[in-house]
Amino acid sequence: MKEVPAKVEFNNTWIVVKLGIAEDKIVIPAPVNLEIPYKSVNDLAEKKSTLIISYKAPAEATLKVKSVDKVLEILKKLILNSCNAYRLAAYFKSPAIRGGVLVTGAQWEKGSIVVVKTGIWFVSATKQVCIPLLDAAEITLTKTEVQGKQTDIVRIDHVDAGEVVASQVLCPLSTLQVLFNFLKDATKGMDMKGNELDGVAQQVAMLIYSGMDSHAIESMLNIPHKQLDGIYDQIIGLGLGEVTAIRREIQLTTKGVRYISDATKSQK
Amino acid sequence: MGKILIVDDTLFMRTLLKNILFTGGHTIIGEAGDGAEAVEKFKELKPDLVTMDVVMPKMNGIEALKSIKQLDPAARVVMCTAVGQEQMVKLAIKTGARGYIVKPFQAPKVIEEVKNVLAT
Repeated sequence: MKEVPAKVEFNNTWIVVKLGIAEDKIVIPAPVNLEIPYKSVNDLAEKKSTLIISYKAPAEATLKVKSVDKVLEILKKLILNSCNAYRLAAYFKSPAIRGGVLVTGAQWEKGSIVVVKTGIWFVSATKQVCIPLLDAAEITLTKTEVQGKQTDIVRIDHVDAGEVVASQVLCPLSTLQVLFNFLKDATKGMDMKGNELDGVAQQVAMLIYSGMDSHAIESMLNIPHKQLDGIYDQIIGLGLGEVTAIRREIQLTTKGVRYISDATKSQK
Repeated sequence: MGKILIVDDTLFMRTLLKNILFTGGHTIIGEAGDGAEAVEKFKELKPDLVTMDVVMPKMNGIEALKSIKQLDPAARVVMCTAVGQEQMVKLAIKTGARGYIVKPFQAPKVIEEVKNVLAT
């Protein structure tokens, strides 16, 4: 068993420990005193260099671990190889498209897809990429050209640091179908009919996606602020968007006008 | 920063690209709504770069790209394809496109791609 320095969350405080990493379990010494067999792990997520490990034994709980990238990489590999999850051998390309631009030099990597409770992991010898299911914007069974042939793939569009990224999975069609159905089922709460927004509101959504602010949207679509506000309410109400900033428009008071007049005079 | 010709059959997409590229510091010297108009505008305006939609009436983007490359083999053309049309990208690259963006796109990525193509 190897021992590595790490921080774990214990009683809502981060504490430094010598984390024991064995072939089949993680050992956290006192004051935590915990052994987690990898096979009892039923969910693994990663947020900003923190691994969130959910396990069933010895009791159902979650452990948060922070460490250097190399340690987290080893932990992720060991957990993803043995944890309780839907696992299949596949080729994947992640990311294949970022922000609408095909990623130059993106290659198919041989590895496995591990679907845990809250996310999909792409695992290869050099990579462990996690897509949280909540961040999956669209899952499609489609075709792409691989070595000159139209080949079935599953494409997963997801949001990563505010950018829309597409990843692709390639494996035999029957397995793809199972993966597709599984992912569709896991994300069905996010499915919509497609007719919830009218034409203008759809254009507004597209402009938001493209990174336009409300000022740009108003001027591009030639719509008044009040109408845009109503469309924003609709988009927010449908759970398609969230408020990131509130912009204010003000007009000067008499005192303000006087101040500006004086300031202009003093510049002469 | 470059002089850019935007080619797309929808006013909405042209306006969006115009806005994005203007924000990126480029000058939009013209717009075209189909492939045939794109070729005419290319001859007339001699842009540094063309953003070219693939599916358009009269003459599609691939045909327009071929005509533009015949006029100027060094022309910089960035293709705009929709999701699911990625196979068109290979054809466009074979025909001489320098870059490609997939709709819907995000402003920073479009600016980056255009900057990269202008630098070549």
